[in-house]
Amino acid sequence: MEVDTPIMSRFAPVDEHIEVFSLLFTQDKKVFLHSSPEYAMKRLLVQGMGDIYQMGHVFRKEESGRLHNPEFTMVEWYRLHIDYQAFIEETVQFLNIFLGGLSYTLLSYREAFLQFSGLDYLTASSEQIIEVLLRRGVFSSQDLCRWDRQTLLYSLLSFIIEPRLGKNGFTVLFDYPAQEAALARTFLKGDERVAERFEIYYEGIELANGYHELADPLEQRRRFEEANSARIKAGKEILPIDEEFLSDLAKGLPDCCGVAIGFDRCMLLRHKAQALSDVMPFTWQ
Amino acid sequence: MAQIGTNEFKAGLKVEIEGEPYVMVGIEFVKPGKGQPFTRTKLKHLKTGRVIERTFKSGEKVEIADVEELKMRLLYKEPNSAVFMDDNSFEQITIGNSVIGENDKWLMEEICYDITIYKGEPIEVVPPTFMEMEVVETDPGARGDTASGRVLKPALTNSGAKIQVPIFVKQGEKIKVDTRTGEYVSRVQ
Repeated sequence: MEVDTPIMSRFAPVDEHIEVFSLLFTQDKKVFLHSSPEYAMKRLLVQGMGDIYQMGHVFRKEESGRLHNPEFTMVEWYRLHIDYQAFIEETVQFLNIFLGGLSYTLLSYREAFLQFSGLDYLTASSEQIIEVLLRRGVFSSQDLCRWDRQTLLYSLLSFIIEPRLGKNGFTVLFDYPAQEAALARTFLKGDERVAERFEIYYEGIELANGYHELADPLEQRRRFEEANSARIKAGKEILPIDEEFLSDLAKGLPDCCGVAIGFDRCMLLRHKAQALSDVMPFTWQ
Repeated sequence: MAQIGTNEFKAGLKVEIEGEPYVMVGIEFVKPGKGQPFTRTKLKHLKTGRVIERTFKSGEKVEIADVEELKMRLLYKEPNSAVFMDDNSFEQITIGNSVIGENDKWLMEEICYDITIYKGEPIEVVPPTFMEMEVVETDPGARGDTASGRVLKPALTNSGAKIQVPIFVKQGEKIKVDTRTGEYVSRVQ
C-alpha cells in the first residue's frame, strides 16, 4: 500500500553525519524536515498497516554536487516477514525496472576492503591506511595526518572502494560494521560484529540503502544517544530524539526489512546523464 | 585572518594553506554511503601558478588568504622595477621586476593595472585584457605576398611586446592587443 507521511516533525533523525534543515514554527518552536520517511513509516507498521511504500522528497543540509542535492526524491518501502536475502533480490528487481536486467554480486564490507586496499578494516592501523591512500596518489600527506582512524576508513571507502563498485552489474555491499548499523539489526559473524545492512552500487554510485530493521527500542535509543554524543564531540548541535517513534517501537515493530532508494540517481543512470542537474528541473548547484 | 567552512567553498575563493596563498579553481563534494562527507578542491598557487589537490572533511575550516586586489596606475618604469599610484589615495608603491615577470611587456605609463597584494606585499601585476599600443618596429609588408601564404609578420610595440600582426599593419599604427594571449585583435582608428 502507498502511504504519504508528513515531511515536517518536532523531532529529528539523529545521525552523526546527517544534517537536517530546521524551521522556526514559532519563535521558540523548532521543527525539522525529514531526511527520510523512515520513522513515520515504522510507526505505521506498528499500527498494523502491513507492507507499505512511499515516494517523496527528503531533505539533507549538505553541499550540492554532481550526485547530491539538498532536496531529492526517495523511494522507500517495508516488507514484513521477508527473508533478508530475498529482500535484497527484491530491491535489485526494483532497480532493474529502470536499469535493465542487471545481475548482482554480494560483497561484504570486510571483503571489499581486503580486495581493493589489501587491508582488514578491523585491524588495520592508521599508518597502514595512510600508506595505501598515499600510494594511490589521491591525497596529500598533509591532509591525511590531520584525520583520525575512522575518517581514514571513510576516505578509503569514498575515494578508493566505492568508485570501483558496480562495474558490470550491481554490487551489493553488505555485512556493514556494527558501528554503521544505523537502524539495522546486528549479529556476531565470527570475530566481527556486523549489521544487517546492505547498499547497492552501480557504476560507483550508491543507489539503495536497506536494513533488516532494528525493533529493539532500548538499543535504538542507545544508538541515538551515541550519535548525539558524537555530534557534540564534532562541534555539532544535539538533535531532539523522536520519543513518539521510540514509544511506538516499544509497542512492537513487526519483523521487517526496509530500503531507501535515491530515485534521482536511478534516473541519472537510466538516462546515462552526468549529473543530477541533468535529470532534475532545478538543482542547487 | 578569518576562516571559512567547506560549505562556503566556491571557485575564485582565495585561501591560505600552510602559509601559502591559493585560489580555489575546482570543488567536488564526496560522501560515502552514510559516513563522513568530504570536499575535494583544486587549488592554484597565487604566486607560482602550480595547481595542487587538497581534500577536507566537510565542516573543516580554512584560512581566508589576506589578499587584496587594487587598481593602480603605472607612473613610470625604472631599470629593475615600476612605480604605481592609487588614484584615490595617491599612495605610491614600487613593484620589482621579479613580481611583474612576463607582464613587463604590457607596461605602459598612465594605464591602470590590477595589483594583487598578499599580506601587504604585491605578488602579481595583471594588465587590462585588451590594450591599445603603437607598433614601433615592423617591416613593410610586401603587398600581395599571398604566394608564400604568409599573412602575419613580427612587430614590436611601444610597451616592449613582440607580437605577430597582419602584413597590412604599418609602423607607427595603433593596434588593439589581447594581453592574455599576446595576439593582435584589430587596428585602432
